[in-house]
Amino acid sequence: MSRISKCEQFLELVSEMRRLVIFAIGLVCLVDFNSCGTTSFAPPPVTSELSRAGKGQHGDIAMLREGRTLFVSRCIECHTLPTVSQHSAREWPRLIDEMAGRANLKPAEREAVLAYILAVRTQ
Amino acid sequence: MKKFLSLCILTLAFSASISFGGVRHFTFLYEAPTSARGSAELENWVTWKRTTDPERFDQVDFRHEIEYGVTDRFQVSVYLADWFYEADPEHSGFSYSDSAIELIYNLTNPVDDPIGLSVYGEIKAGDRLVELESKLIAQKNFGPLILVYNATLEAVWEGNDLIEREGEFSQVLGASYEISPPISVGVELLHEFVFPKWRDEENIRNLFVGPNVSYRSRNWFVTVTGLAQATDTEDEPDFQVRTIFGIGL
Repeated sequence: MSRISKCEQFLELVSEMRRLVIFAIGLVCLVDFNSCGTTSFAPPPVTSELSRAGKGQHGDIAMLREGRTLFVSRCIECHTLPTVSQHSAREWPRLIDEMAGRANLKPAEREAVLAYILAVRTQ
Repeated sequence: MKKFLSLCILTLAFSASISFGGVRHFTFLYEAPTSARGSAELENWVTWKRTTDPERFDQVDFRHEIEYGVTDRFQVSVYLADWFYEADPEHSGFSYSDSAIELIYNLTNPVDDPIGLSVYGEIKAGDRLVELESKLIAQKNFGPLILVYNATLEAVWEGNDLIEREGEFSQVLGASYEISPPISVGVELLHEFVFPKWRDEENIRNLFVGPNVSYRSRNWFVTVTGLAQATDTEDEPDFQVRTIFGIGL
């Protein structure tokens, strides 16, 4: 087979792959763009205001940061992230207890996740 | 075969204690998050394929896989056994296919970062078969919606003395929407390019598309995808249905 023909086949293949990749990126951009200015899907970052909003009762800023990191990494192994307002402050401890084993959270990590969620709820 | 059955029984018996690896929302796609450090899971895969062109042929593939989270970003899996049942007019029966080891490293988070990325490597060896597979996994979570894209490159050596070579590039796109905490529904689109002898002369392109549904409970999940072939390629399944049942160890 001539080198030109091989080159044509390669270009055709690249073109086919590119179409699906463009479609995928377009889909992500479309959803991302639609969400701009309306809803931010990422949970709120830990700031000194957030820590102050909880009046320190939910833990210090380092604990809240750890809680947020665990919340956005461990919980998504099984399900999408719920908004923290979806459940009451009384419900959250039970819900986290139910899933702590599944997410392999140690007691201190479980406390950090709960502290972060309750601090966001209080804000 | 006895050894294999004993191993399966031991694995299932062992499956009552440790903790969960993670839920799959898709069956033909991998997701970017890896299992939590120290968590383990047994996954059982069943894939039924029906081919009618050039003649009717049914095959059911089975896989038994153990996943383990080495760190929060690095996951190791062992395919204890891939085996299959085939049924055609001339021959039917069970055969062992291969075993494999799979490594996944997570680079970025699909919620916090603009895109969640993981890289995947797999080495498979079996009866007159060696296969290397690498994959790029991209994912973005938008609230209850998960979008995932996988690009996979496979190199296969098979047959006597492993002289038959084949390459495959595939890309899979999936969307899954969580309609309630335990249930997600979605769609998967699989686009394959097969290169027998690493050449593109036969121009084999397959496109499969179909829905999926996933249900998760306290310590287990089940995900099912049905795919139909949107192209008209000979010797490729018209339909395939894959079920993955996972249980925390």
